[in-house]
Amino acid sequence: MSTPTRYRPHPDLRLTALEGEGVVLHLGTRRYFTVSETGLAILEALKTPRSLEEIVASLQERYDVTAEHARSSAEAFLDRCLSAQLVTREEGAD
Amino acid sequence: MSPGIAAQCDQPAIRSAVQQYLDEGRLHPPIPLTLEIEVGEVPPVPPASALPFHQPQLAFYPGDQPGGLTIVWEVAPAQARLENGAGKARVILSPAAVDRLPECQIGFLMTTVIFLLRRSGWHHVHGATAVDRRGRGWLMAGNSQVGKSTTTALLASRGWPVGTDDIAFLVPSAGRVAVHAFRSRIALRPGGLELLAVSGGAFQPKRGKTVFWPEELGGTWVERIEPEVLLFPLIGADRTTVTPMAPRDTLAQLVRWSAWVILEPELAQEHLDLLAALGRQAVAYRLELGRDLFSNPQLIDELIP
Repeated sequence: MSTPTRYRPHPDLRLTALEGEGVVLHLGTRRYFTVSETGLAILEALKTPRSLEEIVASLQERYDVTAEHARSSAEAFLDRCLSAQLVTREEGAD
Repeated sequence: MSPGIAAQCDQPAIRSAVQQYLDEGRLHPPIPLTLEIEVGEVPPVPPASALPFHQPQLAFYPGDQPGGLTIVWEVAPAQARLENGAGKARVILSPAAVDRLPECQIGFLMTTVIFLLRRSGWHHVHGATAVDRRGRGWLMAGNSQVGKSTTTALLASRGWPVGTDDIAFLVPSAGRVAVHAFRSRIALRPGGLELLAVSGGAFQPKRGKTVFWPEELGGTWVERIEPEVLLFPLIGADRTTVTPMAPRDTLAQLVRWSAWVILEPELAQEHLDLLAALGRQAVAYRLELGRDLFSNPQLIDELIP
């Protein structure tokens, strides 16, 4: 049985929110970023490591969006988070 | 009265000068804090697991133990070591640093105190504090060149209670956030003096600033406020304007002006959560300071709806 690739917050990430939007700090790179409501929802969902499909499902539970739209938003956000080292990826196995 | 901050040093003149500086600040944290100062050769900083964080005149290194911090003054050799959870800092001043003690107090020892206070749950923000005519607490956050001091002096000259023009501490207070002021003299550059058309004060040649106690400007000093108004000032042109800010921008600005939130992982989340709580309890505006505020100072009384 295969295990999917999962995403989790970088251990140096700290997150706080105000009225649905947030700011994340990376204590290692000493950079901070603002995040939209959707980005905040994804990062909060990652308190437990999640696959892309699980993230898509959590977005669909929260917002009235198609799976395609949710996947596209999540992929774009995760790509940005990976390049900023805000999120790490655990590769799945076949 | 809560405990204060004690200076210890076997050289009485140094102990006395530093204690006077600390006492003037009137900070009373919930636990006793101590600066243990010795004069001597400043040792090299141990090899660090992470790159130092640099600010003008200062460098910050991870400490020897997890959660520790070493602060280095780069003007003259001086070093402070703080441990995780400990209410004291071990400070070593070189004779060259002692020769520049007033500068060392403002630029280095105050920074050490800021990190000591963090261990008592008080988290720093670069900000000025005041109470407006309606009794609302104002926190104006920003760096040293955005008009905080000039505005604080203007408010004092209008008879407002003011706390600090620069050094403020966020403190949890029954589900809200209070801000304690470090009492020090409001420091004005020549441009600020000209705008305010004030005279007197004490000129500090090394800083190029003239300093005033709030009372010398006609105001009073207020130790603590609960902010209902957050202002992020910047120097504008002729007309003063205030613009409401979105929550995300407010939070980003608060993080920006609490730059040391990114140091000390064990304390960062607590600091960050206080910033968010502050954003929830107050309305936030970008304040563009125009010359009209100084030619017509009563404008300040109606500035914020």
